[in-house]
Amino acid sequence: MTEHNFVAAAVGADSSQKQLAHWLAACARQDGVAFRALYDACSPKLFGFALRILIKREWAEEVLQESFINIWNNAAAFQSGLALPMTWMTTIVRNKAFDLLRKMRSDGAIVEIDADSLQDGGMASILETLEHPDGSPQDAMVLRDDAKALAHCFAELKGAQRQAIALSFYHDLSHSDVAAQLSLPIGTVKTWIRRGLERLKTCLTKLEEA
Amino acid sequence: MKIAKNPALVERLAAEYVLGSMRGGARRRFETLLAQHATMRRTVSEWQDRIMPLAQFAPAVTPPPAVWQRVEARLGLASASLWQHMLAKLSFWRNLSLVSSAFASVLLAVLLLKPEAAMTSYVATLENDQAQTVALVTGDLRKQELRVKLLNAPKLTTEQTLQLWAVPKEGKPRSLGLLAQQSVSDASLRFPLPANMAPQNVPLLAISLEKKGGSSNPDGPTGPILFKGAWLQL
Repeated sequence: MTEHNFVAAAVGADSSQKQLAHWLAACARQDGVAFRALYDACSPKLFGFALRILIKREWAEEVLQESFINIWNNAAAFQSGLALPMTWMTTIVRNKAFDLLRKMRSDGAIVEIDADSLQDGGMASILETLEHPDGSPQDAMVLRDDAKALAHCFAELKGAQRQAIALSFYHDLSHSDVAAQLSLPIGTVKTWIRRGLERLKTCLTKLEEA
Repeated sequence: MKIAKNPALVERLAAEYVLGSMRGGARRRFETLLAQHATMRRTVSEWQDRIMPLAQFAPAVTPPPAVWQRVEARLGLASASLWQHMLAKLSFWRNLSLVSSAFASVLLAVLLLKPEAAMTSYVATLENDQAQTVALVTGDLRKQELRVKLLNAPKLTTEQTLQLWAVPKEGKPRSLGLLAQQSVSDASLRFPLPANMAPQNVPLLAISLEKKGGSSNPDGPTGPILFKGAWLQL
């Protein structure tokens, strides 16, 4: 059991959005203990995400560090009514990661794209987890409900739609970059992404109402 | 065309904005409109909640401890100031509710330790972040003994232990002992009561989660502080 799982169990609360919002509110009051709890609960997911974008460990570490400094400094600006805490923090990490990515690209660095994104829109490991819910309770538990719903709906998209969306989301690629990666006309990519997003929304709305 | 007045278009643009496929000038123009229209901001926020969980499809990876240490250093949150901060919060809270909290603690002590209640000289109820009481610590001056009763013993792995700390008004936290896993399940532990444990000097007790063997730093916890509470004289 990881440390953050333990902490969550010990205080009798899962790392639900409500708990995260509570910690963020405490961070806005300069509560360093709450900040540490927030870091322990969220840093593995956010670091995994930064690694997926940047591949290089030292870049991902830098982005994680800058993101948490930003989270602490801006905790007061987080409005729980508007966005979910994890969405808010993920957006910060993604913006920081893309800033670094752009800087590196403009400095002429070659930025890799991981095979997982190209193959199945970064879905391979998640689809496996969903298909074997009994096999790995740890992994299944780690996926929150909103991610489970999204995984379910994402799995219903065509493979190429998944790829195009994942490339935009994880790798900061424009329509034409995605088209180049997939060797497809830009018009096709635009349509796939637009329809893919529409289908995601329809599917997620249906799940919410169910 | 008024984009803001066209919900279907706003929906489509918001999705591409959040995904990141909207670029350059289009992105900047969209951000200008966002600043003016609350309904558009709401649509963007809905798309963020829809799409951002994609981030969770990447497997979780525990970052190296150095990342937290750098965050802590940059923000000036090093342990010392953290303790000072906790003490500051505590004294504020004590001034407000010293009487009622002391009364609650005494009542709890009497209920839980009836036979020894008369011998008890100090007491602390340690709470988690949700203000649930997790441990009761009593100090017996006559027996020179500390007793720890865990009311909601958290589950530990064999690699983990809980460590009890005395947090003085000045100077570094002092370890009072390890609440090892076997003894945690016994739910009641005894330690020798060190000198200078009067609440005037030690206003706060805390329990941290540590790796087996306790904090590698003798001057304070290495792991997160899970529970804390005011140390009071009866």
